Amino acid sequence: MSDIAPIRFRSATEETPLARWALIGIAFAGLAVLVFAPLIAVFAEALVQGAWAAVKSLGNRDALSAIKLTLIITAIAVPLNAAFGIAAAWFITKFDFRGKAFLITLIDLPFSVSPVVAGLCIVLMFGSNSLLGGWLVAQGYHIVFALPGIVLATMFVTFPFVARELIPVMIEQGRAEEEAALTLGASGWRTFWTVTIPNIRWALLYGVLLCNARAMGEFGAVAVVSGKIRGQTATMPITIEMLYNEYLSVAAFSMAAVLALLALVTLLLKTLLEIRHADQLSAQRRH
Amino acid sequence: MGRPLIHRSPMPGLGLSMGVTLTMLSLVVLLPIGALLWKGASFGLCNIWDTVNRERVWAALFLSFRLSFFAALFNLVFGVMLAWVLVRYRFPGRRILDAAVDLPFALPTAVAGIALTALYAPNGVFGSLAKELGWKIAYSQWGIFIALVFVGLPFVTRTVQPVIEEIEREVEEASATLGATRLYTLRRVILPMLAPAAMTGFALSLARAVGEYGSVIFIAGNIPLVTEIAPLLIVIQLEEFNYDAAASIGIAMLLISFALLLVINLIQVWSRRRIGYV
Amino acid sequence: MHIQIDEISKQFGTTAALTPVSLSIPSGALVALLGPSGSGKTTLLRILGGLEFPSSGRVRFDGQDATNLTVQQRRAGFVFQSYALFRHMTVFDNIAYGLTARPRASRPQKAEIARRVTKLLELIQLPDIGGRFPSQLSGGQRQRVALARALAIEPRMLLLDEPFGALDAKVRKELRQGLRDIHDETGLTTIFVTHDQDEAMELADLVVVMSMGRIEQIGKPADIRARPATAFVREFIGA
Repeated sequence: MSDIAPIRFRSATEETPLARWALIGIAFAGLAVLVFAPLIAVFAEALVQGAWAAVKSLGNRDALSAIKLTLIITAIAVPLNAAFGIAAAWFITKFDFRGKAFLITLIDLPFSVSPVVAGLCIVLMFGSNSLLGGWLVAQGYHIVFALPGIVLATMFVTFPFVARELIPVMIEQGRAEEEAALTLGASGWRTFWTVTIPNIRWALLYGVLLCNARAMGEFGAVAVVSGKIRGQTATMPITIEMLYNEYLSVAAFSMAAVLALLALVTLLLKTLLEIRHADQLSAQRRH
Repeated sequence: MGRPLIHRSPMPGLGLSMGVTLTMLSLVVLLPIGALLWKGASFGLCNIWDTVNRERVWAALFLSFRLSFFAALFNLVFGVMLAWVLVRYRFPGRRILDAAVDLPFALPTAVAGIALTALYAPNGVFGSLAKELGWKIAYSQWGIFIALVFVGLPFVTRTVQPVIEEIEREVEEASATLGATRLYTLRRVILPMLAPAAMTGFALSLARAVGEYGSVIFIAGNIPLVTEIAPLLIVIQLEEFNYDAAASIGIAMLLISFALLLVINLIQVWSRRRIGYV
Repeated sequence: MHIQIDEISKQFGTTAALTPVSLSIPSGALVALLGPSGSGKTTLLRILGGLEFPSSGRVRFDGQDATNLTVQQRRAGFVFQSYALFRHMTVFDNIAYGLTARPRASRPQKAEIARRVTKLLELIQLPDIGGRFPSQLSGGQRQRVALARALAIEPRMLLLDEPFGALDAKVRKELRQGLRDIHDETGLTTIFVTHDQDEAMELADLVVVMSMGRIEQIGKPADIRARPATAFVREFIGA
């Protein structure tokens, strides 16, 4: 009789459908509570008195000044870090030297240092009671509690982003194409612009995207060095804190919503890059 | 003849790329960290110890480390499971789920902080539910735990995902042909293969959580000895212009970070030696 | 064990990997499934091992229907082309795996497992490598460890997918004889997949030539060489 039993199809390397759907369910539920709920909360709290109240709260002078300051900081810090990332990736992947692993560890260092400690470091180096800081203040240059300090703090916490994206991609691509260009008589810069940059542009964009998102949103390091002077050194995240502590909930969440939108755009672009240009991103990003 | 410091190479741009790399690294990262260590050195080891060895500082360091450990542990379990679901299963909404994992990286910590507080405060959506059950989340250690879970969420998933992708089907099939049940295969074959990557993700998540500030201070309540985290203590000392005390606590935290970094590197070296991959 | 394959077919989507094939393999035989890539030989082997399920048809072991047996129930010693050794386990733990994976009731004692592993290491003539990890072995050693691991479960048959495919020519010759010896010693019904006609002809008692999901000819090596049944066989053997 067993001869007419239907043939089963479940493969040896799959979980039972029950286990599979249970795991998928837990994944959805977990992310719904941990990630989606806070995201929705930002917009819900911003719109609690209607869209007009939210927009109006962004229109006052202090809010506009915070947005402007954040844009200025990002416009300085991100290109500088991108330039560093390209230089570091070139140095690390195109040359062989002793201490390479150590150098990479040093570049990654800011990821494992608390942002508050990062800010503290900058205060101790450039603060008016330090040797260097005291001298600079005497010359009329203010670093801490001023724009340069905030830029430095932002650069510190976002320092590794671009280099980390570029190094694995450039290792995978090897040196052959650049060597070919050189044997064909191209100059160093020409090789860089016509061979290297086209190969790494999507990975570069990916790194810049992550760097930018973190730079606009950095809080801990900036909180320490900014001095939180309204209208002068208060960035968007700092302004969110000040408004929140003054119980101006709608204003705080409206500004938070602007940053949340930016985060969503970042994720969207990042996902598009992963789908469209997977072959030109590091292996970690292809999924 | 020892190995040369830099091998000769036909590649152009050695001087420029090395110059930019080392200059910027020194200016932005190394010199500021050096300034912290210098401050500590001039303050003196004994004085640092006296500053750190106070009940309030120990309480804050211990709290930060303990809650970060539990949050990273939660992320280890949930993150491995999430990575498995995202790599192995196909279902509607997978792309969105995959992108959502990165939201804690992309969302500014201050935004996350006030959003979590709004949810878990006694009058918030989840907070009022918990209140019914007599459970206080925001302004207690539970709130800190949730904020730390949020910021550390992506690390384990993102380190484990590529490893799952590279597991050969045949290894799992081999286990099945040898009579192992699916659960046994998972426990004895798959999880051990994921262990090095998962431990790396765990350590990264832990390192991030120990230093986290923005998302925690709103939800924590910041009561000394109870819900006051170590980074906040630094900020408080700085606001009182007590630079020596701030530097002392900063150095203690820096040491914890370096220890974690060392652990991560040792895991990778050990894993590469033993099984030939990370 | 006698293996009977009745009208087995396999569809992957719209492409047919196996058009209905039938085959009877006598107990204790050493059989080669020979054919170019895409001929369906690996699919047939995986169906026997329980790693794939046929779209239609039956498989019988000693006359009993085995079509719906799970991989675990089949007790087929399977050697993969890549060997699929567990890289995080020592050679000893790899070989012991099938025994330690058994439910507690039927699991041998620790000492008994150690005794059996030691015996298998001697059988594959590598008595001293129990403590090493797969990454520390040569290709030929890995293949023999994979064989020992498959034998540890006291399989009812031995199935090998391109067992010599990843080895260089010299090692390949040596290991052919090794497989023959192990087959003769254990008396297991052994089926291996190969695209190398020399290997099939030299090693097997019975050769099954396959092409495009069909069996072209079944016979002793000498018969196939003397009387190729189809143009395909003549060309494939002649090459």
